Amino acid sequence: MRRAAYSLLMVASLYGCATPGIPESALRLPESTLDIRSIQTRTVEASSELNILTATVAVLQDMEFNIDRIEKPLGVITASKVSDADDKSQKTGLFFLDMLCAMGGGGNGCDASSTAKDDQHITLTMVVLPNPARAGEYKVRITIQRVIYDKLDRILVLERIDTAETYQAIFDNLRKSLFIQEGNS
Amino acid sequence: MSRPQKLLLLLGLLALAGCATTTPTNIAGGGTQLETRQIQTREYDTLDKAMTLRSVIASLQDLGFTIDQADAELGTVTATRLDQYTMRMTVTVVQKEGERISVRANARIGENAVMDAPTYQDFFVVLDKAMFLTLHKVD
Repeated sequence: MRRAAYSLLMVASLYGCATPGIPESALRLPESTLDIRSIQTRTVEASSELNILTATVAVLQDMEFNIDRIEKPLGVITASKVSDADDKSQKTGLFFLDMLCAMGGGGNGCDASSTAKDDQHITLTMVVLPNPARAGEYKVRITIQRVIYDKLDRILVLERIDTAETYQAIFDNLRKSLFIQEGNS
Repeated sequence: MSRPQKLLLLLGLLALAGCATTTPTNIAGGGTQLETRQIQTREYDTLDKAMTLRSVIASLQDLGFTIDQADAELGTVTATRLDQYTMRMTVTVVQKEGERISVRANARIGENAVMDAPTYQDFFVVLDKAMFLTLHKVD
């Protein structure tokens, strides 16, 4: 009995030293890489790299992003914004859940509404690459991620945005912005 | 030693333990420098630092990262990936002697440093492809 207790103690102490494992495929390309790359990338034409970067900044401002950093020699623009992530149907569902809980005698423990989505922190990177083979042609790639917090500032979701419609809408705006920019310069 | 004396000694030791200053932990990291550098570094036969940096950025984007900051002059790129867990990477590109460029990557997942060689090998497999494509003006 005593030996078993010692063994248990040893295992417990070793467990305390264990480092959590690194996900095996953390830095391997997923099979969907090519699809996602094509969703996030467009080729555009512009008279200069400066024009396309200016047009990009204007689009990001249109979309209410703040520009965090620009590294012109590498064509990298990083922008972010905090916006509302309220989901009315989710809020209604959680409200009824709280009501049912209260009717069941849950009292103060009925707090499902606090797990409702509250705000989202969005980060966007836009990289503009000149095509070395064709002057005036640029490859633009956008990547977007977001963190969604609940009413108590707990993280609900960490995700990369992969929906084609989102990127298409931004590229449509970029083409319009570039058209205006080219006309002004 | 009498019983009250033992008790007094114990109390004294306890009081001293309370005075002990604690050193902040996990600031300088735990890995051996040379070993860590070896698994995190790869060298390429090229003179083009800007092209290497662009390949690093393209690789990170392919791996689902957004670029937090990039500095062409210093040759550093820092990126974050949010995907169930938070992964952060910093990649530095340094011009070496003999027309070679050294690329060093280091990654953290949440509060843990990534120290296993296979994960870095996976990253360099992706970067090798991107370097090849950019060098040969494909893509």
